[in-house]
Amino acid sequence: MIATLRYEFLMQIRRPIMWIVYGLAFAVLVAAMWPGYRTLDLGSGGGHDPKPAMLASAKLTMSLLAIVYGCLLADRLIRDRRLGVAAILDASPSNPGGRLVGKYLGVCGATAVPIALVFFGRAVVYTFTEGKAETLAWALAVFATVILPALIFLGALALAGPLLIPPLVFRVLFVAYWFWGNLIPADMMPTLSHTIFAATGDYVEYGLFDRARPDGVVYGWPDAALNFLRPAATPAVAVLWMGVMVALAAAILLLTRLHAARSES
Amino acid sequence: MRIQINQLTKTYKGDVHALKGIDLDVPTGMYGLLGSNGAGKTTLMRILAGLLRPTSGTVRLGGDDVTTKEGRLAVQRTLGYLPQDLGVYPDLTARQFLDYIALLKGLDERSVRRRRIGELLEVVALGEHADRRLKGYSGGMLRRVGIAQALLNDPRLLIVDEPTTGLDPEERIRFRTLLSHLAGERTVLLSTHIVEDVAQTCRHLAVLAKGRLVFQGDVGSLVARANRRVWTVVTSGAAPSTGRIVAALPHGSGMRYRVVAPVPPDPMAQPAEPTLEDGYLALMEAAVPA
Repeated sequence: MIATLRYEFLMQIRRPIMWIVYGLAFAVLVAAMWPGYRTLDLGSGGGHDPKPAMLASAKLTMSLLAIVYGCLLADRLIRDRRLGVAAILDASPSNPGGRLVGKYLGVCGATAVPIALVFFGRAVVYTFTEGKAETLAWALAVFATVILPALIFLGALALAGPLLIPPLVFRVLFVAYWFWGNLIPADMMPTLSHTIFAATGDYVEYGLFDRARPDGVVYGWPDAALNFLRPAATPAVAVLWMGVMVALAAAILLLTRLHAARSES
Repeated sequence: MRIQINQLTKTYKGDVHALKGIDLDVPTGMYGLLGSNGAGKTTLMRILAGLLRPTSGTVRLGGDDVTTKEGRLAVQRTLGYLPQDLGVYPDLTARQFLDYIALLKGLDERSVRRRRIGELLEVVALGEHADRRLKGYSGGMLRRVGIAQALLNDPRLLIVDEPTTGLDPEERIRFRTLLSHLAGERTVLLSTHIVEDVAQTCRHLAVLAKGRLVFQGDVGSLVARANRRVWTVVTSGAAPSTGRIVAALPHGSGMRYRVVAPVPPDPMAQPAEPTLEDGYLALMEAAVPA
């Protein structure tokens, strides 16, 4: 597992296309948010308070870069077979399950590096410009509880999805899923947005970090469909959301392993 | 390492019978497995390497039954496998690629791994290119990386599937020589459809045709299958209509044909000394009538 993690990380972090696509997406993000991107709170109403500022930063960062993250992962699992390396790997005495986990951790870890750089880059800049060391502490807390669980789930989904459909089709569907299931308002149409299965970390924002909605209303969309998937945002539900993200990732990886074991025979 | 295969069958989805009751005993040393494309060679190689499960039958490699999980793992610890469609990670260097495979093969100690990789890169004459990315390698160089990765764990069984396909003549000869040197105390199973590769490297071989084993024995026995069946015909007229023409060369104003046929294909036909290729063709004529 460690060997696969190490080399998958190395191969992914060296991919020029990864840095180019992230760079372009970041440029779009900054241009779209300009000149608000220069302010600590990105116009979120948090003023000079680092906690809401880092939550807003996480939301903004993930809004676009999560799409890049998923799309860049989409061919990583199937490429061993496409390149013709799978037979060599499978003929080794290494554990296939361990290799799968190693690939998942290595490739997802490498693909998450630019997201971490963008997010922590902002945090470091504002730690110095605002003179508030707690900005970095809040950034760490927000990354660990909002961004990381989402990346854990999205990584497993993006790796496994192309086992069922071609990577290009998966990428299109992934972008559609991201907007439909995570970004659109809950009351616009039946959607997974703001549910316990959404990967945007709303439950942590509202349940764990006590963020208030801009309209002052507590967490909830009375007129939305699928509201049974939107329990009240409490600290316990926030923790539950993190657990759901990790559990979904584990389930996807388990199914992936079973799928591979079936196709071996 | 001795390989004992009993009543091995493999049926793919759609009722495709790739192997039909194979019984084969492979001794230590270089062993050839001949057959045309689609004969079942790669399926057999993949079963031996633990990549495919047979539908029925047993496969024992040095006492381990490869059809069980434990046996497969034991075999894979002492196995070197060079698949037909060898692939590499193009962005890794040869040294990095070998390091990765070595780790997967359980060479955990860094100094041992480095030394082994260095030795093998010299064996396959890639020492100078070891730190170049694999995407810049030629087909022959990639094949040599493939054989190096197969040898990392000093295997007792080396399975090479169609290793010379697509190589230029010089590279093919170099590769064959390398395989012969590697045989020594280990079993090297060379699967190919190129008769010349077997003729130049193996003393024993088996032949597969349409999923069945149609021959196993020494090279001389297969050559003998063509005794009194190889003919030379020199003619300025039409090509012989009976038998299989294996060579046709311009000869004066006519042509000189080499023909494998059970009876003289022409009243002027002269008997010729058979080669392994003639023996193989004679066998296939009998086993799989056209």
